[in-house]
Amino acid sequence: MKVTKIFDKGHQWFMFGRDPEKADSIIDTNQYMIVAGERALLMDPGGIEVFAPMLGAILHHAKADQITDLFASHQDPDIISSLGLWDQALPEARLHAPWIWEGFIRHFGMNNIEYVGIPDEGNTLNLGLINLEFIPAHYLHASGNYHVYDPVAKILMSGDVGAALESPEGPIYVDDFDEHVTRMKMFHQRWMPSNRAKNDWISRVRKLDIEQMAPQHGRIFKGDDVKRFLDWFEELEVGTAIGNDDD
Amino acid sequence: MANMAQNEDKLVALASIAAELHSVMNVAYGVSLAAKNAKVISAQAGDKGLGFQPITDFIDEISQLAIEGVSTINENALRLSKIAVHEQRSYDAYKRFTSVIKKNEDAAYIKSLNPSMDRVETHMIKSFKEFRNSMKDLFVQLEEMDKHMLSARAIASVSRVVTSNAQEFRAKLDVVADNLDNAAVFIKDKVSDSYEHLDRVKTLTREHA
Repeated sequence: MKVTKIFDKGHQWFMFGRDPEKADSIIDTNQYMIVAGERALLMDPGGIEVFAPMLGAILHHAKADQITDLFASHQDPDIISSLGLWDQALPEARLHAPWIWEGFIRHFGMNNIEYVGIPDEGNTLNLGLINLEFIPAHYLHASGNYHVYDPVAKILMSGDVGAALESPEGPIYVDDFDEHVTRMKMFHQRWMPSNRAKNDWISRVRKLDIEQMAPQHGRIFKGDDVKRFLDWFEELEVGTAIGNDDD
Repeated sequence: MANMAQNEDKLVALASIAAELHSVMNVAYGVSLAAKNAKVISAQAGDKGLGFQPITDFIDEISQLAIEGVSTINENALRLSKIAVHEQRSYDAYKRFTSVIKKNEDAAYIKSLNPSMDRVETHMIKSFKEFRNSMKDLFVQLEEMDKHMLSARAIASVSRVVTSNAQEFRAKLDVVADNLDNAAVFIKDKVSDSYEHLDRVKTLTREHA
């Protein structure tokens, strides 16, 4: 599991991904962790198959009992199917996830961890040294969906928005936006169901001061590429699996 | 401790017990109904059915024991399945934690995983003991059920002797005795199959303890 520190000023952001031991048949995923003093938040911790390499990689940077909080942007297996194992590794932790998915996510196995449902309008998590915002991203792509914004690091963990399908050898950051579009277009057109939801999210996110936009698949957008992405996404017609969009 | 494939075998064997006994319940209800009918017939028979009347009480009692016994056995089989699932999940976590420790000996905070490892190990041992005790209970319950069915067959034989004096009611009462005997044979077979499945579970548990 490759680990990249993407922010380090008072608190740290780590990106985990590009696992060389991952089976080819499993989609590559990015996991993120914020370490803020004695506490840490693990975001979209991933599927069962990446649990062991993830935990191993984490223990190079944080103690197990330092991870007090987990976050799941939505209910998909590549996001949180490892929950049954985290439940045994971190029994005292809390899982922040969409309130509407609680009954579904618990199917992954949760006997110890506390489920903290995030309300539709989003909310704030105090992680000791910093406050993080859970930004609503409903229908992008799940019907209950959130992203994590860190106003100090100016990083938006954007879940499946900004995701790209590419090889595990791909670089961490977007280096040529126009070329990168080829890896994102189909994903966004097919996985994102609603133009109305997309535009609602864009207007909300444009108000945030973002230096890095970190998706759950593919590469991180930095600087001007964040605005380029928002402009591109705004123009993109999504929900294309059906012929006509009634939005 | 059982590995994953062995645990899967155990889960299949336990599910098979529940499946074997599912059909027993309907048969036991049928015997219970037959016992109630037999009471009506023996009452109609008056003096001719005198010897049969106390036997109908036995038949009713046996059918109730079968119904209750099967319910308890099914509950226990289900509980064993749940324990086996918990054991499998703990084993899965244990295996993955072990792999993390082995591959990341140089990690600065690798020792912080030790409490989780100890907890999972304790849970596995607890589940294993609980499984073994519940399995013993299930063996006893199956043996008891087998004995009840032997008694049922004995009652059916006695019934046939008693009904020889029942004249025109004999045929109806013989049907009740035959039904009881057939039901007892059927339930005994199912109990025997369940015993074999449980024996397989026991072997898997002992082999990999």
